[in-house]
Amino acid sequence: MEEYAREPCPWRIVDDCGGAFTMGAIGGALFQGIKGFRNAPSGMSRRFAGSLAAVKQRSPILAGNFAVWGGVFSSIDCTLVYLRHKEDPWNSIISGAATGGILAARNGVPAMAGSALIGGVLLALIEGVGILFTRLTAEQFRQHGPFEDPASLGFPGGGNPQNYQ
Amino acid sequence: MFSDRDVGSPQSPFVSPYLNFDPAYLPEATQPEFIFPEGASKQRGRFELAFSQIGASCMVGAGIGGASGFYNGLRMTVLEGQTGKLRRTQLLNHVMKRGAATANTLGVVAVMYSGFGVLFSWLRGCDDELNTLGAATTTGMLFRSTSGLKKCGLGGAVGFGLATVYCLITSRDRINSFLESKS
Repeated sequence: MEEYAREPCPWRIVDDCGGAFTMGAIGGALFQGIKGFRNAPSGMSRRFAGSLAAVKQRSPILAGNFAVWGGVFSSIDCTLVYLRHKEDPWNSIISGAATGGILAARNGVPAMAGSALIGGVLLALIEGVGILFTRLTAEQFRQHGPFEDPASLGFPGGGNPQNYQ
Repeated sequence: MFSDRDVGSPQSPFVSPYLNFDPAYLPEATQPEFIFPEGASKQRGRFELAFSQIGASCMVGAGIGGASGFYNGLRMTVLEGQTGKLRRTQLLNHVMKRGAATANTLGVVAVMYSGFGVLFSWLRGCDDELNTLGAATTTGMLFRSTSGLKKCGLGGAVGFGLATVYCLITSRDRINSFLESKS
């Protein structure tokens, strides 16, 4: 897959919702499969049955929670794009914090603050890693001019290279 | 071709030669002309559309489930004679519960369908109606696979039927032209 550009704004909500749901579904299937396997009574067939039951029962719920997170996050992201007229890492960080806060709204103000902090820090980490990767990959494409080192031009008689800078 | 006389306009001779020619020499553009990267397909494939489809079916499921939950909640609260605050809370519970359940179900179905679709188009190397039919049938079978062989087959049949209807609608033009060419 070549460059995966994000969708333009209103559709980004649908796209992010689906991506988060997929992530939750697959991750939840793996996690609950292992958990159900370990929690089941002994015997291989029973273990697999327990694993399957856990996956069936719980992974859609995790996927749904992820989807809600992604949808709210993306909605706030798009609102911020509309309000601030620019797209930068701050949008993601703010919407991560706001999403964390909104989704913990039923648990009281301290829980909201904690969730918002976690959301903001998480998104800041993600954005930071993204920027870091962009920097690192940009490094190897940096242009090296052919006249970078004037001494290598080899002027006969050792002309003063400082003239060329 | 690059002179002023062909265009027949009193332009200054210092205009760029690239702007100064008869547009009739350009090939007629009958379809949109885009430059695609080397090796890239000209359409978005199943993978690029998958996340939007999953998200859309999730949201549609939440909407349908919420509406039906609201209706059910109204009926149940009237039957049980709940009013005021209690009724409001019960309504909210119904809406949230049914909405989340339906959204999860539809979303899981969409994830399965997209996964199978991507897998089939990757395996077969092409993207056509056969992939849609196969993916829908396998999705139905997988979704019902834990509740017995009969239900599994029934799920597959439902998936196949829906996919057939979808394919008949989307490729109606091609089928029509095929039938006309035969008769």
